[in-house]
Amino acid sequence: MENENFEQRTDLSKLNAAVENIKASLAQIIVGQQHVIELIIAGILADGHILIEGVPGVAKTLTAKLVAKSIDAQYSRIQFTPDLMPSDVLGTSVFNTKTGEFEYKRGPIFGNIILIDEINRAPAKTQSALFEVMEERQITMDGELYKMDEPFIVLATQNPVEQEGTYRLPEAQLDRFLFKIDISYPSLEEEISIISRQHQQKTADQLEHINAVLQGADIVALRQTVRGLHVEEKIIAFTARIIHETRNNKSLYLGGSPRASLAVVNAAKAVAAIAGRDFVTPDDIVKVATPVLRHRVMLTPDKEMEGLTADDVIAQIIQKIEIPR
Amino acid sequence: MRYLLLIFLLLTASIANAKPDTIAAKKVPAVIRLDTASVTLRHIDTAAINNYKKQKEFIYKDDYSGPSLWTRFWRWFWSLFDWGKTKTGYSNFWKWAGVLIKYIIMIGGIAALILVILKSAGIDINIFRKGARKAGIAYTELDENIHEIDFEKDIETAASAGNYKLAVRLLYLRALKQLSDNNLIDWQPNKTNQAYVQELNNNPAQGPFKNITRQFEYVWYGDFAVTGSGYSQITKLFADFKGGRP
Repeated sequence: MENENFEQRTDLSKLNAAVENIKASLAQIIVGQQHVIELIIAGILADGHILIEGVPGVAKTLTAKLVAKSIDAQYSRIQFTPDLMPSDVLGTSVFNTKTGEFEYKRGPIFGNIILIDEINRAPAKTQSALFEVMEERQITMDGELYKMDEPFIVLATQNPVEQEGTYRLPEAQLDRFLFKIDISYPSLEEEISIISRQHQQKTADQLEHINAVLQGADIVALRQTVRGLHVEEKIIAFTARIIHETRNNKSLYLGGSPRASLAVVNAAKAVAAIAGRDFVTPDDIVKVATPVLRHRVMLTPDKEMEGLTADDVIAQIIQKIEIPR
Repeated sequence: MRYLLLIFLLLTASIANAKPDTIAAKKVPAVIRLDTASVTLRHIDTAAINNYKKQKEFIYKDDYSGPSLWTRFWRWFWSLFDWGKTKTGYSNFWKWAGVLIKYIIMIGGIAALILVILKSAGIDINIFRKGARKAGIAYTELDENIHEIDFEKDIETAASAGNYKLAVRLLYLRALKQLSDNNLIDWQPNKTNQAYVQELNNNPAQGPFKNITRQFEYVWYGDFAVTGSGYSQITKLFADFKGGRP
């Protein structure tokens, strides 16, 4: 606890140490993007799936891969392509000639950390295969139920929908991602650092030496700690007002769902824990509101044509709502 | 050369006057043939004609039955302003007053229509409102105006009642008011505490303010219990902050 006037209520030392280890591990390869890394860690601690969006070449896949590598858990990668079928993801029943019976052959979705690269290059049919597994952490195949092992984290990357050969993900699927994190271009200083590192051939060597700093079982325990964090009634009301406003805002065609309200609070708890607090402040809510809501809300066509973005509208909404103080 | 031209003209003139040979025409005797094809007499279907006559599209007669209801409404409406009309017509004053009122109503109607359209389009126009600052210091959780709060009295009352949580909150609001009064922060109800901390960047007040913000957040959002001794320590931090400000 960072304040000597108050007794320690929750032991966050293990969580903070784990976060620092992951950050340090990733900082060896990733230049800058601290905000992105912090949000990814918060997403993992909040038991959520994460969608990373950015133009080609901004290290989306590398970041996701490194996060996966820094956690000692079963890692699986699925490259989404336009001809990918649901059975390629979930698995399929194969006839066993020896036994004379059909056997379920598990697909690559079975794992702890699933990296879905270029998720929006597969059509809606394949995307819908992920609905059940992302929300309920289970697969129903041929009448049989298959539970996913904990932790189950989907880290997906995508190019902006304006890019060639991409589809817009179904709203139902977008709602299942806790965060949509936008990766922007690096600053000039960061760009220089990236080139220098590559020039000195540091990156390739360091990539090999990235070790797991956290066990899969540790994540399950840390999530339990995060869930137990204190949230005041006024903070809950503040969150509800933000979400409610998204449903009444004239610039938005689709507002946030109740799942979005829960996601904001859960994500804010994780952010508070990373900050070393065992309670949520309005700052935490404001910090996570945009990455939680930007993919869940839909602009009206006229506002979209005016060049307004979901981030702009969310910022406007937050500015309208008074901070409980 | 002249002789050559003369000969040419004479030759062309003789060609122009030449007549073609006449050919004797052969006469063909006229033969009259009778049309023996059978004639089918067609009758007009009276029922169909009557049917067409009943259809609105084929009735070309235009019965003008006076002005429409809409026109009559407007005539009645403008007649309401014919206050000055006498048997001999309008007096000069009423004539102009009527015209003036007519135009005022028309302009008002157009303005109201524009307002309705803008409102329905979601465009907020504040033409009747004073261009005041966006928020001003007018909000706390209980709709208090922190400029109207007697902080010293209220803090004392809360502390003496053992309500240290409320006392810490009031101490923090007083600190915000102090910063705002000294133009160190731009107080807005939608700004978070960390936003104010950032606003004090490169200001010596940032460190102490960050410290009291932490105290406030632990008490107000963290629901940490504050004892009498704990409150004394917190009060000291706020007092130091208050004393250190201009």
